[in-house]
Amino acid sequence: MSHSRMTAPSLHPSAAQLFSHVIAANSSYYRAILDVFATAKRQFRLHLRPDDVLAEAHWPDAAPTLEAVQHALGQLVEWGNLQAQPDTARVSTIEDFYRKRLLYRMSVGGEAVEAGLQAFSDTLARRAELQSVALDDIRARLISIRDLMSESPPDSAKVHGALRDLVHIFAGLSNNAESFMAGLARTIELQRAEVSAVMGFKTRLIDYLQRFIGDLVTRSSQIAELLLDLAPAEPSLLQIAAERDARNAAPDDAETNEEALSIRLDSWTERWEGLKLWFLSDGRERSQAELLRASALSAIPRLLQAISLLHERRAGRSDRAADFRRLALWFAEVPTDADAHRLWRAAFALSPARHLALVVADEKISANTPWRSAPGITVLPKLREQGVLPTRGAPPRILDRSRERAALAARVAQEAAQTEAARTYLATNREIRLSHLGRLDAQAFRMFLTLLGEALASQTNPDEPVERQTGDGTLAIRLIPLEPTSHAELETELGRFCGRDHRILIRRT
Amino acid sequence: MFTQTRGLKDVLTQQQEEEREHALRALLMRPLIASGDPDLELVRRHAEYLRDWFGREAGWNLQVERQCARLYKRPASLTDTSRGLPEFDRDRYVLLCLACAVLERAESQITLRALGERLLEAAADPDMASRGFTYTLESARERRALVGACRLLLELGVLGRVAGDEEAYVNQSGDVLYDVHRRVLARLPSGTAGASLIAATQPDLDFDGRLATLNDEYVPDSPESRRTALRYRLARRLLDDPVLYHHDLSSEELEYLSSQRGPMAYRLAQASGLTAELRAEGLALVDAEGELSDKHLPAVGTEAHATLLVAEYLARAARSDTPTIHSLHELAAFLRDAADRYGRFWRKDAREPGAEIELAREAIDRLAALRLVQQVENGVRPLPALHRYTIREAQS
Repeated sequence: MSHSRMTAPSLHPSAAQLFSHVIAANSSYYRAILDVFATAKRQFRLHLRPDDVLAEAHWPDAAPTLEAVQHALGQLVEWGNLQAQPDTARVSTIEDFYRKRLLYRMSVGGEAVEAGLQAFSDTLARRAELQSVALDDIRARLISIRDLMSESPPDSAKVHGALRDLVHIFAGLSNNAESFMAGLARTIELQRAEVSAVMGFKTRLIDYLQRFIGDLVTRSSQIAELLLDLAPAEPSLLQIAAERDARNAAPDDAETNEEALSIRLDSWTERWEGLKLWFLSDGRERSQAELLRASALSAIPRLLQAISLLHERRAGRSDRAADFRRLALWFAEVPTDADAHRLWRAAFALSPARHLALVVADEKISANTPWRSAPGITVLPKLREQGVLPTRGAPPRILDRSRERAALAARVAQEAAQTEAARTYLATNREIRLSHLGRLDAQAFRMFLTLLGEALASQTNPDEPVERQTGDGTLAIRLIPLEPTSHAELETELGRFCGRDHRILIRRT
Repeated sequence: MFTQTRGLKDVLTQQQEEEREHALRALLMRPLIASGDPDLELVRRHAEYLRDWFGREAGWNLQVERQCARLYKRPASLTDTSRGLPEFDRDRYVLLCLACAVLERAESQITLRALGERLLEAAADPDMASRGFTYTLESARERRALVGACRLLLELGVLGRVAGDEEAYVNQSGDVLYDVHRRVLARLPSGTAGASLIAATQPDLDFDGRLATLNDEYVPDSPESRRTALRYRLARRLLDDPVLYHHDLSSEELEYLSSQRGPMAYRLAQASGLTAELRAEGLALVDAEGELSDKHLPAVGTEAHATLLVAEYLARAARSDTPTIHSLHELAAFLRDAADRYGRFWRKDAREPGAEIELAREAIDRLAALRLVQQVENGVRPLPALHRYTIREAQS
């Protein structure tokens, strides 16, 4: 409950001493004595004598002496649990007269301690119970409050009664939900995944989910609606409750009426805020009911994980860990490393296969040839000589050839120019005798020879004139042979050219 | 059009066969595949085929679940000492088993420090102390051993690292947080009976008895089932071990093999992508690429090169008819000579005088692991398959 307007109750100064008997050495004796007083109080007997205490208490071990009981009672008076007053009853012996006679009763502080201890043991002993009917009750009470507040003026006694019931039910509900979820949150057993723990957890969770969470989801929305409906009537509602409370309370010197009223109003407001917070979110955080649902749902994956862990453990033979430990012992007993390798292979069978390499090339060997008569394997020479495989070597670097390319281009251009000059020289388009061709330079001569070759090749007999184009179509030659006895001689750069004389005509096409 | 659709079906069939072969080989190399490994997908897709195949051919149980696939690859021969974990000794194995015992009882997450503390409790058991095993976690060496065991569990997929660094734990400056995958942990032990059950019902077994009981399988008493059990034994050795020699087999196994070795080897080779090499002295399933193995020969590296040279030397010596036993010193002397010729390709510390003894020892270990030589009292004796290593040069 986060919206507390009252300060937390400070510890009464005498509280520490009042609880001293709980941690004292003979705390069981003290408890026995105080139990007697508590029982007597229930029977409306207010004063007890030491004899009564000695007689009625349930002592943990042997009963102590009367002196010990009186000593213990004196100690309890010192601590403030009990109060003593002189005993004025008549005595019948002289010893009794001289004995210090006291009557004891429980003090206010003592009663508070008893009540506290009772609440303490109650809370510890409380098992987490599910209260699905609580939600129904809350809803019914809210409906009745709403109806009561709609009358005017509202019946304050009934309103107060309904509110008191509501808060009481609600306190029980939230306590139980809290302790139940705390029980579900423990996952130590889950981690170790013992079957019984997991099964128990599963049953509790499924039970809880079925009975409570389902209800919570449906009812909490209805309850939230009712709370919102009551919002305008809230201040007057709480005022009524506070006023009735103040009237019921016993008058105390410290407070005036005003103070009493405001204190009670504060406490009622606090409780109402707590109730609202459970079912409505306040904008910043989710409502408690939603948080409860979320934590119940988050228990499901944890349960599933524990179940899968169990399942994994069960896959395969049981207790493999014992197998591994036994194998470790066997390895430790092994005399040599070689034997350890044998045990490894026998127990784990993880060794890779092993085979010889390289097939013998010749296939026509009968199966009864001994190995020494069969040809052996062929091994790469480098592997045999040096123990390394022939490497492919690094790829060659790409060289820069632009200079060479430029030179080539220049040469090509030069040759083209020469050829063109030769063509121009030869293609005169005038008929001329071979012998009068004049001196030819090398390039022109070569071109002339090509022309001549092509023309002569298409000649079927040496006396036939022939006309032909060159292969590249730039020049045409016409050859008319003269008498077979004619002779032509040409001086060229490359030598002297002799042959039958012809009349030739070379022209461009 | 018709030919086109038929071609597609062939392609799909071929792809399926390739996937199956790949999954089978993956399981042979890593009998426990956990999630995070890309091959788990393949194994799950062909789970039924693989389960049938392993059950029919080798009598091995395959269990495929969402989080892991486990081939219980029970060995047929229990005498091989070279199949252990690399860098593990007796103490580290004990630590591994105790760590698994602690993890079995833990929740879904644990830190390395908490694991260490609970290990200390488990190791303080009087039974452990009576066998001479003590563990205090105070020295860096012990912490490093614990980290080694955890690294193995990380590789297997039993643990998953969430945060932290193991080196920091060894230096006592940090901690590591792990997820515990309990289902994978449950698949780790592969015995047919639990070790604690064996200890309870048969407390007087000796070491060999324990190994045998861990792999004991029930064989019904009929000639057919005995024959099947025999076939399983042979198939397990062929699938898991490099070479199967006739001189290791019993007479009934030999009898079975004499008629069945061709088809059996072919079946196993076909499904696993290996090649059957049948010879007079025995048979082997050989991997052309050399991938389906944890030890490789030939391989890259100084030790592998030395091993290859030793194999060649021994093969040449074995060509003479007298079977000889070669001592460790003889092989070390050979390697000292070889170092003159080949040493410049070796690691620097392998060239130093005196290093050849260690090299020779490692070469012998590797050759014995590949069942090419047999280690006897005074040295090694070549076994028939070593003749494969009379190497002829590749025609390049």
